[in-house]
Amino acid sequence: MGRLIARCAVWGVGILLVLVAVFPLLWALLNSVKTLLDIVTPTPRFLFTPTLENYRQVIGSPEVLVGLTNSAVIVGSAVLLGTCMGVPAAYVIARYHVPGKRDIQFFLLSLRFLPPVAVAIPLIAIWVDLGLYDTRFSMIVTYLLTTLSTITWLSIPVFQRMPREIEEAATLDGYGPYAVFWKIALPNCATTLLGGIIFSFVLVWNELMIALALTSSNSATLPVVASAFTSMGQEVPWGVINASTVLLALPPLIFVGVLSRLLNSMLKGK
Amino acid sequence: MFNRGKTSLPYLFLGPSLLVMLVLGLVPTVAAINLALKNRVLRYPDSDYVWLRNLERLMSDRRFLNAIEVSAVWEVVTVLGAVMVGIAIAVYLFENVHGKWRQAMCVLLITPVLLPRVSAAFIWKFMYSPLTGILGWLLGLVGIHDTAFLSDPALALYAVALVDIWQWGLFFAVIVLKLLETLPPEPLEAARLDYARTWQVYAYIALPMLKGPLISLVFIKMVESLRSFDLIYVMTKGGPGVATETLDMYAYAQGIGLSGKVSYASTMAVLMMIATTLIFTLIWKRVSKWED
Repeated sequence: MGRLIARCAVWGVGILLVLVAVFPLLWALLNSVKTLLDIVTPTPRFLFTPTLENYRQVIGSPEVLVGLTNSAVIVGSAVLLGTCMGVPAAYVIARYHVPGKRDIQFFLLSLRFLPPVAVAIPLIAIWVDLGLYDTRFSMIVTYLLTTLSTITWLSIPVFQRMPREIEEAATLDGYGPYAVFWKIALPNCATTLLGGIIFSFVLVWNELMIALALTSSNSATLPVVASAFTSMGQEVPWGVINASTVLLALPPLIFVGVLSRLLNSMLKGK
Repeated sequence: MFNRGKTSLPYLFLGPSLLVMLVLGLVPTVAAINLALKNRVLRYPDSDYVWLRNLERLMSDRRFLNAIEVSAVWEVVTVLGAVMVGIAIAVYLFENVHGKWRQAMCVLLITPVLLPRVSAAFIWKFMYSPLTGILGWLLGLVGIHDTAFLSDPALALYAVALVDIWQWGLFFAVIVLKLLETLPPEPLEAARLDYARTWQVYAYIALPMLKGPLISLVFIKMVESLRSFDLIYVMTKGGPGVATETLDMYAYAQGIGLSGKVSYASTMAVLMMIATTLIFTLIWKRVSKWED
């Protein structure tokens, strides 16, 4: 009997844990397909006639479309540039003799830990002085700092873990250093490298503060647009807010599987 | 290292990237320090050096002192909260959940941290809302009726901190769980044979064995907690009053918008940068120690 109670308690905690982790997001998803009348009730409603009106309104609003395009262009370019520059740099740090290797790694990681205010505030003044404030270009350059340092940092261990023999064999077969990188190292590590690249994508896609400081209307990203929704009209449009919340959260959540694999491989390496 | 002969590859691959990072990293840092020593206001293009006057003014700025206090409470609550929640859940999973279930659980537990902070903030803001929020309804069922947490100056900061702990605590649970999996099973089994209770096995054997990585987690969360801005901006905008105005929130309010006192804001940013650098150097020394 005591055993049975203990088992039930274990199950209870497990179910509670799943609820705590998942319920808030599911609740937002549910609210995003309700009419405002179904949302604003003193007793939460789980049964209702679903509607796609909120999504129609979100996608139909010009600000969201501008924000979505800006986010796609800015985040896409920053990640692409970060990949093209970061992956080769990581390969060199992993495989060649570089003086001050540890200092370079220290520098890379310290860039990731720089407080965003300390980046945002001086950059306002710099971009204003250069006449580039509130442009996509200035945002891409600013985000490149995050993507480049993160991708480089996460790609170094990937190349280090690849067995050296493969490259040695290729060298003996007459491959030059460039061919070894393009034809051997890169294809071998591609899937693992992708984890780090996606992680950097999630970081900049989710970023609010720097975007809020460095854009006003022309190049505002999706988080900036979404964060402004509270003050729309007199009535708080909770359905629309929930719909935009879900849309904003969708891209990072698609990659949850890939990122969980990245986490596994990183912690196993120790 | 095998002989690669003379090749341009390392210069070509590493040089430009490193240069870009140096420029992108150092320009804002140097500019922040430079701005902090001036009296630049965004509206006017010219400015003069006032050296440490901004720092002097900060020291007698009550809103700044309040922001330090709020930030300190935020740091303590979120760091301790996230790490303790993480350890508790990890121990529960390590003891009770195995195989496929455990893997599925891990994926579920890392979803909150992947949510954009803006999304997480809106989701919880809605759940907290006093008349229509589901939390208010749940608490009403057990007899608690006064649930306007976000507009209560005494509770607002903790209510926002709970969201941060929700995101990071669950994520840390997965990390601590993976760390527990790397431990050799023998010492734990030996302790159990000696009739150690479950909590004793963890408190005296398993967790002390993971002391290094756990302290690193604390440091990482300390740096990460300094970026409280996104959550607070969406959930309370620093209010009610200045009850949830952390350092980055106040710096933002000063530097952006109508006032645009970029120099004053920059001084605060530089102070945060110094704090971050100190914590970060400690992490780095620790990590280097393990690797040796």
